[in-house]
Amino acid sequence: MATRLSWLLALSVLALPLSGCEKKKDTGSGASADAKTQAVKAPEVKPADVKPTDTKTAADTILIGEVGSLTGSEAAFGISTRNGIELALEEVNAAGGVKGKKVEVRVYDDMSKPEEAASAATRLITQDKVLAILGEVASSNSLAMAPKAQEAKVPMISPSSTNEKVTAVGDYIFRTCFIDPFQGSVMAKYAKEELKFTKVAILTDTKSAYSDGLTQVFKKRFAELGGTIVAVEAYGKGDTDFRAQLTNLKKVKPEGLYVPGYYQDVALIAEQAKELGLKTTMMGGDGWDSAKLFELGGAAVEGAYVSNHYAADDPSPKVQDFIKRYSAKFGAVPDSLAALGYDAANMLVEAMKRSDELSGPKLRDAIAQTKDFQGVAGTITLDENRNPVKPAVVLKVDGGKFKYVATVAP
Amino acid sequence: MAELVRLGERASRPALLAVQDLKVSYGAIAALKGVSLSLGQGEVVALIGANGAGKTSTLRAVSGMLKPKAGTITLKGERIDSQPSHALVAKGLAHAPEGRGIFPNLTVQENLDLGAYLRNDKAGIAQDLEKSFTLFPRLKERQHMPAGTLSGGEQQMLAIARALMSRPSLLLLDEPSLGLAPQVTQTIFRILRDVNAGGMSILLVEQNAHLALDLAHWAYVLETGEVVMEGTGQALLGSPEIRKAYLGE
Amino acid sequence: MYKFLQHVINGLSAGTIYALVALGYTMVYGVLKLINFAHGDVMMVGVYVGYAVAFLLGRETATTVPGALLVFAVAMSACAALGFLIERFAYRPLREKPRLTSLITAIGISFALSYGFQLDWAVQDWTILPGAAARRFPQIIEPKEWLVLGDSDVIIWNWQVISFGVAVGLMTLLQLLVFKTKFGKAMRAVSHDHRVAGLLGIPVDRVIAGTFMLGSALAAGAGILYAVKDKSVQPLMGMFVGLKAFVAAVIGGIGNLPGAVVGALLLGLCEEFVVGYTASSWRDAVAFGFLIAVLLVRPAGLFGKFQPEKV
Repeated sequence: MATRLSWLLALSVLALPLSGCEKKKDTGSGASADAKTQAVKAPEVKPADVKPTDTKTAADTILIGEVGSLTGSEAAFGISTRNGIELALEEVNAAGGVKGKKVEVRVYDDMSKPEEAASAATRLITQDKVLAILGEVASSNSLAMAPKAQEAKVPMISPSSTNEKVTAVGDYIFRTCFIDPFQGSVMAKYAKEELKFTKVAILTDTKSAYSDGLTQVFKKRFAELGGTIVAVEAYGKGDTDFRAQLTNLKKVKPEGLYVPGYYQDVALIAEQAKELGLKTTMMGGDGWDSAKLFELGGAAVEGAYVSNHYAADDPSPKVQDFIKRYSAKFGAVPDSLAALGYDAANMLVEAMKRSDELSGPKLRDAIAQTKDFQGVAGTITLDENRNPVKPAVVLKVDGGKFKYVATVAP
Repeated sequence: MAELVRLGERASRPALLAVQDLKVSYGAIAALKGVSLSLGQGEVVALIGANGAGKTSTLRAVSGMLKPKAGTITLKGERIDSQPSHALVAKGLAHAPEGRGIFPNLTVQENLDLGAYLRNDKAGIAQDLEKSFTLFPRLKERQHMPAGTLSGGEQQMLAIARALMSRPSLLLLDEPSLGLAPQVTQTIFRILRDVNAGGMSILLVEQNAHLALDLAHWAYVLETGEVVMEGTGQALLGSPEIRKAYLGE
Repeated sequence: MYKFLQHVINGLSAGTIYALVALGYTMVYGVLKLINFAHGDVMMVGVYVGYAVAFLLGRETATTVPGALLVFAVAMSACAALGFLIERFAYRPLREKPRLTSLITAIGISFALSYGFQLDWAVQDWTILPGAAARRFPQIIEPKEWLVLGDSDVIIWNWQVISFGVAVGLMTLLQLLVFKTKFGKAMRAVSHDHRVAGLLGIPVDRVIAGTFMLGSALAAGAGILYAVKDKSVQPLMGMFVGLKAFVAAVIGGIGNLPGAVVGALLLGLCEEFVVGYTASSWRDAVAFGFLIAVLLVRPAGLFGKFQPEKV
């Protein structure tokens, strides 16, 4: 009996991690199905999202879709993006909408999981028959969604997925942010030329396409500029203990530590590095951009440098005006995800206005022709690969805030 | 319903337990179809019958392990049916279940301590523990051994001793001879006789009709969930019908 | 050498948290023979309660010793109450049903808690449900270096020592509770056969509820020490730790208290060395491989015993 029981236990233990990665995919058990509906529906019932006409697509509205990480590990990204889009559409509708119609957005939560993002995209396309899709933030999730949109000829604009491969999926996939090679090379250049670092270590998230993309480019560029990468350590998304890797990094005494991860992991990494007595300057990308970084990382993230899409302390009136309107509505300073969400929605609306017909292929063509679009996170002209050509900014963490230090043009 | 045969005269005693028209079902199967019996103060009453006749079900219903479908159970004039087992212990009921139900991982001592779970009189418990050891000297030798290491007979002794630790007014015993060598069985029944001589009332379920009837003041014969015969132990032992059906003659 | 030593400390520190969670896991299993998959999520709820209390007390008060103890006390009581409710309304009705039913219910509760806590719900200024994003857990134990070797080559923090002490202390206390007290005897009796336990006058429902409440309170305590270590709290934290703690409990021999602690420390060290000397992707593979290796050699776990089932 005891033997049989322990085997049963062993089996159930083994079965769990397997099902763990797709827990939210309905495996048929009632419990997980409940969890799924709960988590997916919750954001939809937020009063702000539900308009009385939301249940039917009236003839005088244009329905677009949004897939975002409203729960899960990158929830802060998803919520910021959601707010940016909401603000943009509210302004568009207040100004009379597009071709006399109101623009409505149907939002699905993907719980920060690629497989959920893919099924949400499918739902938007087949059930809700949306005209276009906005999303996702994380490159892994966008990469899961893009083939669905491409196949159905529904234009998709990712506000902030920086991995190169996202728009390479097909000619219906666009974005409003710069891409990883650019971001990685900006930071490598800044580290070598401005910060004068020669020995840099990297701590990368092997489960994330975004992190991997930045790592590859940074590594190559930094070496080209004459610097040395002294160590590369890896972690996986969802880890909360990085002490083993940091203990190893402490041994090689790097001047700088490049962590192209997301804010939640970065905050823990910074805290644990400090706890272990690892003294180095941390550097990262736009994945760090969330007010949560300062709440979670506290003093440990002070002095770090990141590359980003926009700076909230950019004095340009367009930016400051956006910040004023955003803060009035959401009570917070918009981060770059909010800015990019705002830009993505506006870029889509602008293309809808230019398009002579509201169909997927026509709208695609209109988006592809985007030129000198004045976004809050930079002026966008799309190149032949449907990627914007725009500058990046380097920010420094100073006093629990990102401070603008430099603009690096392409 | 079969006609109830009654043999011998029952000595009059103050009533302790009365069961009226008790019905118990396992799903669609009726285990007890209306059993009535009674037990007086200081009496040993035996339930005999073949496997599946309903002896154990009767005992379990009395001790609250089974919820009766119908009928009443009265202990000292108080209705006790459909009360949980643990509440009945406080009212003076102790049940040594079929298969003994000792805790193999716990020591003999700990098993006995659990018998006195509801009691708080330390001195009294210590006294009763000594009493059990006098009654069952084997248990004293094994006091600190895990009960799982005891022989079958010793485990049965432990089950009885443990039941007595709650100072019950009525002891329910289910198949104390099951799986034991004849000699060990003899010893256990001798001890039961002593326990009864000390004033303990006993409701006994036993397949070994000979032993049971020899010990019992009064006995009921169950067949397929019904009482078909009752009488004094001696009278039933003398009945040709019983001798044929249950004593293998 | 310093690097090796630091890895050992990291591993023990991680193992300590697994141990604290595994103790509750293994105790509940010991009595109910139920793998309470919701244990880690109850822990998470406890951390949120602790978070709320520390927040209400304010930074100044929460870092004092009475303040910190109050955080623990309230979180543990709240989880005891939660444990009571879960047992009363989810597990008790299923006690006589096949064990798989309760197991699946446990998984259901686990999901309900971890995803329920990702909902965002505030009534005016009062946050009722916390939302999905991680939050920084207040420093209820002011971090101090307890021991520093070399030029900050190896650092041991006060909270690491406190957590380790609490884990070993709790293990001892629980061991005493289970083996030396009347309640512990009743727990063991119920564990073996709750029907027979009832026949002896043991209030089975109350013993089971009590065990559950104790296990849940332990989870809350463990969770707060975990939050002190990782300085953050988020709704999914219980799932991962719960799973690891469960593995630790099985390695040590489920139902066995010292086994849970030893299994957890071994698991923590094993994971640390895997990540430190190979690659992080190997962490879970090796952890579960370790589990399988242990079970192949000792099917009942390191400290588990085969129970001869005599009839």
